[in-house]
Amino acid sequence: MVNPIYIIILSLAAGFLLSIFDKSGRKLSLIVFYSVLTFNVFVIADWFYRFTVLGVSTLTINTAGFSAPLSINLQLGIQEAFVLLFANLTGLLAAIYLIKKFKESNISSLVLYLILIMGVNGLVMTRDLFNMFVFLEILSISTFALTILTKNKKSLSAGFKYMIAGGVASTFFLLGVVFVYYFTGNLNLDFINPSDFTNYGLIAIFLLSIAVFIELKPFPANGWALDVYESVNSGITSVIAVVNSAAIIFVFYKIMPLLPQNLLNIFGIAGVVTFFFSNLMGLKQTNAKRLLGYSSIGQMGLLVASIIYTIHSPNKLIYLIVGGFFTNHLIAKAGLFWITGIVKKEKIKDWGILKENKFLLILFGLLLFALSGIPPFPGFWAKWEFIKLLVHGKMFFVVGGILLGSLFEIVFLFRWFTIAVKGEVPSENPKISFEFSKYFSTTIFVGITLTISVVIMKYFYDFNWFQFLPLIAVVVLYFLDFIPSKIKGFLSLIAVGIYGYFLYPFESNLQLFFGIIFIVGSAINIIATLNRKNINKGFYGFLLMMIFSFGNLLIAKSYLEFFLAWEFMTISSFVLILRGKKAQKASLLYIIFSTAGAYLMMIGFSLAPNLTSNSALIIAISNINLPILVTVLLAIGFMIKSGSLGVHIWLPEAHAEAESDVSPFISAILLKAGVFGLFMVGISYINHVPAFDMFYWIGWIGVLTAIVGAFLASFQEDAKRLLAYSSMSQVGYIVASIAILSHLGWLSALYLSFNHMMFKSALFIAIAGVYYRTHTRTMYEMGGLIKKMPLSFISVLIGIIAVSGVPPLSGFGAKWLIYSSFIERGWYLQAGVLFFASAVSFLYLYRLIHTIFLGQLKYEHQNVKEAPIWFLIPQVIFMVGIMAISMYPNLIIQPLNSIVGNYFNSSIIVDGYNITSSLGNWNGNMIMFVTMGIFVVPLIILVLLNGRTQTVKQFNIVYAAERPESPQTTHIAYNMFAHYRKALGGWGKPRIWNFWHETNEWAHSLSGLFRQIYTGNGQTYILHIILYIVVIYFIMGV
Amino acid sequence: MIVALILGFALLLIGIYGMLSQKNLIKIVIGFSIADTGTHIIIVSIGYLRNRTAPILNSAVDISKAVQQVVDPIPSALVLTAIVIGLAVTALMLSFVVELYKKRQSLSIDDYQELKW
Repeated sequence: MVNPIYIIILSLAAGFLLSIFDKSGRKLSLIVFYSVLTFNVFVIADWFYRFTVLGVSTLTINTAGFSAPLSINLQLGIQEAFVLLFANLTGLLAAIYLIKKFKESNISSLVLYLILIMGVNGLVMTRDLFNMFVFLEILSISTFALTILTKNKKSLSAGFKYMIAGGVASTFFLLGVVFVYYFTGNLNLDFINPSDFTNYGLIAIFLLSIAVFIELKPFPANGWALDVYESVNSGITSVIAVVNSAAIIFVFYKIMPLLPQNLLNIFGIAGVVTFFFSNLMGLKQTNAKRLLGYSSIGQMGLLVASIIYTIHSPNKLIYLIVGGFFTNHLIAKAGLFWITGIVKKEKIKDWGILKENKFLLILFGLLLFALSGIPPFPGFWAKWEFIKLLVHGKMFFVVGGILLGSLFEIVFLFRWFTIAVKGEVPSENPKISFEFSKYFSTTIFVGITLTISVVIMKYFYDFNWFQFLPLIAVVVLYFLDFIPSKIKGFLSLIAVGIYGYFLYPFESNLQLFFGIIFIVGSAINIIATLNRKNINKGFYGFLLMMIFSFGNLLIAKSYLEFFLAWEFMTISSFVLILRGKKAQKASLLYIIFSTAGAYLMMIGFSLAPNLTSNSALIIAISNINLPILVTVLLAIGFMIKSGSLGVHIWLPEAHAEAESDVSPFISAILLKAGVFGLFMVGISYINHVPAFDMFYWIGWIGVLTAIVGAFLASFQEDAKRLLAYSSMSQVGYIVASIAILSHLGWLSALYLSFNHMMFKSALFIAIAGVYYRTHTRTMYEMGGLIKKMPLSFISVLIGIIAVSGVPPLSGFGAKWLIYSSFIERGWYLQAGVLFFASAVSFLYLYRLIHTIFLGQLKYEHQNVKEAPIWFLIPQVIFMVGIMAISMYPNLIIQPLNSIVGNYFNSSIIVDGYNITSSLGNWNGNMIMFVTMGIFVVPLIILVLLNGRTQTVKQFNIVYAAERPESPQTTHIAYNMFAHYRKALGGWGKPRIWNFWHETNEWAHSLSGLFRQIYTGNGQTYILHIILYIVVIYFIMGV
Repeated sequence: MIVALILGFALLLIGIYGMLSQKNLIKIVIGFSIADTGTHIIIVSIGYLRNRTAPILNSAVDISKAVQQVVDPIPSALVLTAIVIGLAVTALMLSFVVELYKKRQSLSIDDYQELKW
C-alpha cells in the first residue's frame, strides 16, 4: 500500500532528475522513465483492487500537515482510482508505443511526458480548485510542448492554435476559481456550498464550468482540437485524446455538484449536439486521423451527456453507462490512433493496405467494432442502458440525436472498415513496417476491452454460456484457423448439430418450427460450403456465430437477450457478406440499414412494458400489451431485416455480392429472422388489439413488396440478383400473410417460410454451382447448360415450380392457403395484387431456367462439368424435402395447424391428405398423382415421336449479313423483358433507390456545409470559443 | 477597489480583442499576455479590503488582531502562481512563433490554415 501522493512526488522528482541521469546515457534515463510510469500503474491498480474487492473506504490525503480547507487535500476513491488506472495505463502503453521516438528525441520529451502524467494524477485527485488550475496548466503546458514531438509545419501550427485556445479557456477557468473564492470564501470542493451561488455567484460557477467544458471540445468551439488530432504524432495524440480527456472529464464530474440544474441541462444538450454534429461532419472526412478526431470529440460529448443524465440513477447503472462509454471510447480511440501510427496512411482510401496484415486488421476491426457500440463491447451495454434511461425520462430528442449521430458514426467507421478489408492496396509503400512496441500496446488494449466485455456480460448481466456461444464460436475457430477448410466445415456441421441438440429442450411450438428453419436449414446449407478449398480464414467462425445467434433469438428470455442475439446475427452476417469479392458497397449498405433497424428496435424495446414471466420472449410477449408506438418501431426494425419495400435496397446487393455459398444463408434463413420478429410483434398484437389497425398497413406493404420484388426480379441480368429480388417478393407474401392475423393467414405464412427456406436454398446453391463452373452470374452469357449440368437443372426446375405455385409442388399449397386466407379475411384487392404478382413471378422464373439451362450452349462452356458433389448434396436434400411436403402436405400442415392453434381457433380440417378450409379443399397427394399423370401422357407421346426430330448443330447458324461485335447483346436473353419494362413506363424508375441515394447525398452535403466552420484559422477558433461562452451564458439566462 | 476590477476587465477585453483582431502571431501573443495581466489584476482586486494593510505579519500588525487588520492574503498568493504560469505559457507561445517563422518565414496567422474542415 503506497500513498498515492508518491505518484506525484516521484513523477515530479524523476522528471527533474532525468536530465541529470541522461548525462550517463539514454538507457538509464529510459529505465527510470518507464519504471516511474509502471510504478504509477501498480500503485493505482493496487488501490483500485482495494476499493473494489476489499471495500476499503475513500482515502483522503492532507498535505503540509494541515487538514482541509487550510491545506490542499487529495482524494482517492473508487472513481478516482478507476479514472487514474486508465489514464496511467494508457500513459504507460503510449510511452511504450513511443519508445523508438523517446530513444532518439531530446531528453526534454521524457521530462515533459512525466510532468504530463503527474499533472493528470494531480488533476484527478485534488479537491482544491486553485490547485486544479495549477495542475490543469501543468498538464496543458506539457501537452502543448509535446505536440511538436515530431516537429513539422502542421504540428507547429496546430500546437499554436491549441495553445491560444487552451490559454483562453484557462483564463476563464482562473477567473471562475477566484470568483468562486470571492463568493464562497473557499477553494475546497468539499467545503463549497452550492447554495452560496446566488445572482452574481452564478457567474462565478458559470465561468468555472464553461472553461472546463471548452476543454472538453464542444461543437462548434473545437476546431483547434481537430487540427491537433490530425497533425500530431499518433502516440501523443492518443495521450491527448485519452489521458488528458479522461482527466478533464473527471474535473467536470468533480465540479458538477456545484452547478445549477439548468446549466447542467444546457451542458447535457450541448454534449448531445456535439455528438450529433461531430459524427455528421465526420461523414465527409477522408483523413484517417482527423476522422478519429471527429469521432473522439463526438464521444466526449456523449460521455458528458451520459454523466449528466445518469446522475440520479443507481450506482450500478452509472458504472455501466458512464464507465462503459468511458472505457469503450478511450480504449478504442487510443488503439485506433496507435494503429494510424503503424499504418502510416493519411488517406482512408489507402487503408486497403491493412488486408496484407491480418493480425493488424483484426485489431483494427475489433477496435472499430468497439467504437461503433457493437456487442459484446462495453459501448453496446452502455448505449442500451442509456437509451432505456432516456426513453423512460421521455427525452426523445436526446435519444434521436444520439441514435442518429451513432448511425452517422456507423457509416464512416464501417466505410473505413470495408475499405481496410476490400480496398485497393496503394502502390506507394505497400508494406506496413513492423515495430514490436507499437503492436504490443495496441494488442494489450484490445485484450483489455475484450476482458471488460466478458466481465460485463458475466457479472453485470449474469449471462449463461448459451449467450456467449456466438463469441466462443468465433474465438475457437480463430485458434483452429490453420486447419483445412473442409475439416473446419465438418467440425462446424457437428457443432451445429450439438447446438441443435442442446437447443431442442428449450423450444416448443413456434420456436421449434423456426428452430428447424434456422438450425436444420443452416446445417444443410453448411454442406455446400464444404466445397471450399484451402484454409478460408475466418469464414466458419462467423458462420457459426450467425447460426448460433439465430438459435439464441428463439430462446431469448428478455428484450436484451433478444437484442444481443440480433446484433450478433447482424455483425456476423455483415462480416460474411463482406467476404464477397465486390461486396464492399453491399456490405456497407447492409450494416447501415441493419443498424438503423436495430436502433428503432432499441427504442421499441426500451418503451416496451417489463416482461412478467420467465419464459422465452416469444411466449412471454403474449401477455404484454405493447403500446402502438412500440409495435410500429419493432415492426419497422424487423421489416428492414426482411427486406420490405422501401427499405429493401440493401437486399439485392447483399444477396448478390455475398459469396455464392453464403447467399443461401442470407436469403433463405437470415430473412426469416425478420419474419420471426414480426410474428413476435403479432403475438402481442392479437392479444391486445389496439385501436389503430397497424397490421392492415403492414399487409399492404407486404403485398406491394411481393409485386415490386417480382417485377424487379424480372428485369435482372444477374442470376443471383434475380433470386435476391425473388426472395424479397416471397418474403413480401409472408409478411402480408402474417398481417392477416388469422389462423389461415399465419398457417400460410409459416408454411411459405418453410417452403421458401427449402427452395431458395436449393436455387441459390444450384446457381452457386453454375457460377463455380462458368465463372459468370450474368445469365445471357450462359445457356444450354442442361446437358452439362443436368442435376442442377432438375434442382432449378423443381425450385421454380415450387416458387411459382403451380401444381403439383408445395408452392401450390402455399398459394392456395394464401389466397384462401386473404379471401376469408375479405382483402380482395390485396389478393388480386398478389395473384398478379404470382403471374409476374413466372416471368423471372422462366427467364432463370430458360436463359441458363435451355437454348444454346456457349462456346466457352463446352467443357463445363456438373456442379461439385458438395453443391449437389444439399440440393438433393432440399428437393427430397420439397417433394415430401408436396406429396404429403399433412406432414407439415398438421403440426402447423396445432402451432397456430395456440393463437387462433383452427379454421381448417385436416383429414388424411385432405385439407378443408371454409372456401374449399386441397389434397396435395391427389394433386401430385393427377399432375404426374398429365405430365406422363404427353411425355410418352413425345418419346414415341422423338425419332422424327432433327438435331441442329449449335453453330450451324449464320448471322444475317453481319457478325455482331458483342453477340450476347443480340441474344434473346439480354434485356429479356424490355417490352414489359417499357409497358411499365414511369413505374419502372428506381424511385426508392433514388430516394436513399438522395438522402445519402444530402447528409454528405450537410456534412460538408457544417464543417466549413473549421476554417483552419486560429483566430476563428478563438472567436468560436468566445461566442460559445456568450451564447451558453445567454441560454442559461442569468 | 472597484477601479482595479474595472481596469482588470478592461484589460481582459482589450487582450481578447487584440487576439481576435491582430493577424501578427506576436501581436496575438501580446494580446494573450494583456488578457492574462487583466486577469491578474482582477484577482488582486477581489482580495482587497478597504482600510487594511498588506498581509505581512510585522510590527505594523497586531498578531492577535491580524485577521481584522490585513487584506485577504489568498488572492495575492494565487496571483503569484498565476503570474508564473502565465509567464510559462507566454514563453512557450513565443517559442512556437519562432519555430513557425523558421519554417515559413511568415508571422501572419492567415498563412497557417492548411489544416481545416
